[in-house]
Amino acid sequence: MAGPSKTSSWILSAAIFLLLEIAALALVGNSSSLQNVWMNRFSHRVKGFFWAGGERARNFVMLDAQNRELAEENAMLRAQLRRFQLSEVDSLQQARVAAMGSRDNFLFVPAEIMKVSRNNQHNYIILDKGSEDGIVPGAGIISGRGVIGQIGAVSRHYSYGMTLMNNRVSVSARIGADGIAVPLVWDGIHKDRALLKDLPLHYEVAPGDTVWTSGYSSVFPAGIPLGTTDRTRIVAGASSEVDVNLFENFSAVHYVTVVINTGWAEIETLEQP
Amino acid sequence: MRGNRFILIFIVLVAGEILIGNYLNLSQFVLLTFLPTMILCLPQPVSTPWALGIAFATGLAVDFFTGSVLGQTCVALLPVALLRFPLLRLVFGNEMFDRRENLSVRRHGLPGLLLTMLVANTLFLLIFITVDSAGTRPFWFNLVRFLLSLVLAVLISLPLMSILLDPENN
Repeated sequence: MAGPSKTSSWILSAAIFLLLEIAALALVGNSSSLQNVWMNRFSHRVKGFFWAGGERARNFVMLDAQNRELAEENAMLRAQLRRFQLSEVDSLQQARVAAMGSRDNFLFVPAEIMKVSRNNQHNYIILDKGSEDGIVPGAGIISGRGVIGQIGAVSRHYSYGMTLMNNRVSVSARIGADGIAVPLVWDGIHKDRALLKDLPLHYEVAPGDTVWTSGYSSVFPAGIPLGTTDRTRIVAGASSEVDVNLFENFSAVHYVTVVINTGWAEIETLEQP
Repeated sequence: MRGNRFILIFIVLVAGEILIGNYLNLSQFVLLTFLPTMILCLPQPVSTPWALGIAFATGLAVDFFTGSVLGQTCVALLPVALLRFPLLRLVFGNEMFDRRENLSVRRHGLPGLLLTMLVANTLFLLIFITVDSAGTRPFWFNLVRFLLSLVLAVLISLPLMSILLDPENN
């Protein structure tokens, strides 16, 4: 019996205290402009603290939705950038692109990674977009930091792909803006390292050069930065290979963009014997 | 009889505080006050809501008659009234409340009473000086004012307690 009575007595005392304290503060505020300004400033600071806290909490709760929006915006911007880059290409490059049979028919679809493996030799990725979203097998997967991998199979709502950290994936890459185009493959060990293979022995590569997608494959558009060159090695006295420090951090990636070449089927038809 | 005596002494001390506030300004570094001690010495039958009412009325009267910012003393005195029982319970334990006895130097000892006065005056002075400076005075000034006022308040509290508390027990 004493418990609840004591509690209610405390609540009553606290209520009276609050009431009288507020009355006293109001009196102070009304009696002196100096104290009034000080109290206003203090109350603004307190309000600011709570508002900022509330906004932070709200943002945290809505982080997922915001990330999704950003991913969609990224995909849209990437498509715009692609159009812009193509409009800027000089006539020589246009002729070269035309000669390679590469036309700008890439679609960009934002996607979220549902699962990704990083500790095997054949690492894979599962995305939350499938055939209903326009994803097709063979499409490329990129992020803001470079190439992620390539779609292998597609279901209605999900798609399965191999990441660049997979021995079976090879990306056509170019060293520098006008350098040679060679295949880029994972080095099989590091999460942030790859190799440029089959370089002619006479070809010199300066460490620190940026490596881009060449655009010679029908999977990735040209000009996606992949990483920077590092050491060069001679392989079996016949060719050389270059270490590449990838821009992509496979441990942190969560949102990606699927690049779909709408002319893929046509190209495949041509490639068939 | 004892109750009337306490009320009378309480009113006289409030008048004394008003006179000090008006005519005995020692220094801008020193604040001479014994209001927290008076609130702490309220008899035990005076419950917390009543103590809050007394603190508010006392603070208002002192502010009004000394011409200081109205409500300033109330703001600082109300927390002392609210925390009167928890503070006494913390220092002297539940025994004091079980026996329903008032504060007494003989029963509760000088160190305990001094500690209680120290905490109550610290609470009062911290709030009073903060509100009074309103962010306009430097920290060192407030600190010196607080320390000097605290020493003075505790020194005054000792003879004041012997007047306020039951003379038979002191």
